[in-house]
Amino acid sequence: MSDQAVLPTTNDLEDIAGQVWAAFLDDGHEVVPSEDQQAPFDLSASVAIMGAFEGHVIVQCTTQASRDVASVLFEMPTEEVSEAEIGDALGELANVLGGNLKSMLPGPSTMSLPRVAETTHEHWPSTVEICRTVVTWRDEQFTLLLLSSDQQHRLERDVA
Amino acid sequence: MLGVVIDDSRAMRKILRSFLADLGFEVLEAGDGQEALEVVSGADSVPELALIDWNMPVMNGLEFVLEVRKRPEWRSMTLVMVTTESEHSQIVKALASGAHEYVIKPFTKDGMIDKLALLGLVPVGVL
Repeated sequence: MSDQAVLPTTNDLEDIAGQVWAAFLDDGHEVVPSEDQQAPFDLSASVAIMGAFEGHVIVQCTTQASRDVASVLFEMPTEEVSEAEIGDALGELANVLGGNLKSMLPGPSTMSLPRVAETTHEHWPSTVEICRTVVTWRDEQFTLLLLSSDQQHRLERDVA
Repeated sequence: MLGVVIDDSRAMRKILRSFLADLGFEVLEAGDGQEALEVVSGADSVPELALIDWNMPVMNGLEFVLEVRKRPEWRSMTLVMVTTESEHSQIVKALASGAHEYVIKPFTKDGMIDKLALLGLVPVGVL
């Protein structure tokens, strides 16, 4: 991969989040960058990007936040959404965010199907964080992350 | 009019089903390309429209498009990719394989209506 590749920034992540929420989760609540950039989570949805860029796009949030997402997408009361619907909704959110981020990354590349895990501590070995943000929607926080598995990015981080 | 929504996400199928129903479509659903082939084969008539995700298990959207294009009896079906795959090379590949139009997620309702209107699939009065 070229050393000159311009990678997405936190601002890009926030712009994409704004577009995705406005299109799919338009329930009158706006998604805004959170003042607190550390947010609790117990669910993690991710897609892997493979090709000219190697890495992961990850969405982390609480079960309650993911219930809210599923509630809007499935148009049903929050307390009635099932675990399967929560997983489906959060996975699709990661899929759409990942696809839009992928368009800003060096290509060609392919993207995996989304994976949703129940976890409070997820480890992504041999990766370096390219950008991250925490956004707030309906008083719930969502952490959005782009990680790279590229050795060059790890070297640059180590030098820095 | 009959439409089929093909996406492995139930949430996305629900959004697209609702959208097409508002346009007056009767809507069939499938969770992957293979299931879609079975659903279309079993339908009373050939759907006028298929909205197709790209990344799906079992059979992806591009493979579904290629399968449809092998069957002359399904030639009338309009194929629209609705996907997060936004690389230019992917769009070209889908259109060259027989898709008529390409919509990138996230889409807006108005944006989708504009695409379908160009394909002559929006009833008079909706625009």
